[in-house]
Amino acid sequence: MKNYPLTAAQNMHYRWIKQYGTQQVSGLSIVASLQDELDFEILKKCILMEIQRYGCMRVQFTKPDENGNINQYLTKGNFYDIPLKDLSAMTMEKADATMQGWAYKTFDGDDIPMMEIFMVKLPEDYRGFFLHMDHRLIDSCGVVIMTNDIMSLYTHLRFNSPMPDDLADYETVLQKDLKRASNEKRLIRDKDFWDDILDKWGEPLYSDIQGPMILDRAREAHHNPNLRAADIELKDLFVAVDDYKLNVKSTKQLFDFCQNHQISMTNLLLLGMRTYLSKMNNGQEDISIQNFISRRSTHDEWTSGGSRTIMFPCRTKISPDTEFLDAAYEIQSMQNQIYMHSNYDPALIYEEIRNRYGTPENTTYESCYLTYQPMPVKMENPFLKDIPMHSKWFANGAATKKMYLTVSHTEDGGMNFSYHYQTADLNDKHVELFNYYLLKIIFTGVENPGISIGGLITSV
Amino acid sequence: MSVENRFKEIVSQYCTASPAELHGDVRFREDLDFSSLDFMSFLGELEDEFDVELEQDKIVQIRTIDEALSMIQDLQEVG
Repeated sequence: MKNYPLTAAQNMHYRWIKQYGTQQVSGLSIVASLQDELDFEILKKCILMEIQRYGCMRVQFTKPDENGNINQYLTKGNFYDIPLKDLSAMTMEKADATMQGWAYKTFDGDDIPMMEIFMVKLPEDYRGFFLHMDHRLIDSCGVVIMTNDIMSLYTHLRFNSPMPDDLADYETVLQKDLKRASNEKRLIRDKDFWDDILDKWGEPLYSDIQGPMILDRAREAHHNPNLRAADIELKDLFVAVDDYKLNVKSTKQLFDFCQNHQISMTNLLLLGMRTYLSKMNNGQEDISIQNFISRRSTHDEWTSGGSRTIMFPCRTKISPDTEFLDAAYEIQSMQNQIYMHSNYDPALIYEEIRNRYGTPENTTYESCYLTYQPMPVKMENPFLKDIPMHSKWFANGAATKKMYLTVSHTEDGGMNFSYHYQTADLNDKHVELFNYYLLKIIFTGVENPGISIGGLITSV
Repeated sequence: MSVENRFKEIVSQYCTASPAELHGDVRFREDLDFSSLDFMSFLGELEDEFDVELEQDKIVQIRTIDEALSMIQDLQEVG
């Protein structure tokens, strides 16, 4: 078995594990089930086939070396058991709560499997599987691909549908990623891009959804009235989740705007978020938000599994007299450049910032994180399309981020705004207010793209 | 392999079209359904593969296969 270093995306999760002292921050769990008499013998066979097909499921990690670094390798994966858990006597709510408990479990140790799968018999005749996996092995796009592939294998064995195409080889894609990341010219180009932003705008400035009091608190704690970063919550990592739906008609309005003006939904959302942060922080113009990028573009990147999602700070300095549409283009321009440099390890950006400005340990410049998930979480299989489905993502119970917004599409054509937030500082009222203003800002701008950002902040 | 063939091989990894279908007037966004992320990742890969550095202000003008290929070939000649 060949050992490989972690990619930048995997290291991001590993750093959080070390920083927060628990693997729980790297947990990813989902249940996928159908209201159907699924044959568990066949399903078990499919899951075992998937472990062979989808190499990322067989990844394990070595013991940390003297510097705390670990390597990864692929096992043959012949030793997985797929037990059946019967929750059918419970209510669905209780079954979800039970699975939520499974999602809190941690994978502690070296050279051990970093995932587990149970087949589940759920209430109301739903049957399927529960997956719990370390985020360094897979991300949400990877989970969707895997779920669809398992169900394609199932319909192949059960109904003789065509055998699904092979998935890309995890190891080959990993090697390509690592090779690209070690390309010196690429590294210099990427570093220059991030350094240029600091040369142009200087040290970033923290902005909080609760307003300037959080930065003031950090300045007092560090006895530094000029501090521009705020403390990260390291002790109380409990996370709550609130979801808000956007109806189909309003969703269409946003999409039409994006299409008509060639703006991506991610950038529209980033504009809404940064405008709210500006509003809450006395019109602050220099705002940074962490945005997750899927880094899946080629066929092989889409189907190789692995953890490819990585976050970069989207930093923009937008003056109040900038029109809404121009501000959207400013964000789009910044994001497009970030995409081109998205092989870079974001830890190096912060290393440079620390070197330049002496940023204290365990502080941050960003309070908000965004993931826009354009891919619907559903089984796109013609043999199963009319069968009711119950699927759910489970929080891992430990948030590394103060407020993490995931925007996804619902099956009816609407959108879902899912907020994961640390309860140490935030409550449901903060999140409700954030969601209210976020949408109000976006829709006001969409209906009047010529409005200035300053005017927009005042009007909402 | 010629620059053009290698170039089209890379493009085909990002879309469902085969290299033979990638005629000069094919547009990345409208015809091949490239997202912003796809397009910028693709350009980054071109830089690495052909050892060139693309200029930001010229990137935004690229719409078609021919335009991107010409830019790469021009930069290689200069380099």
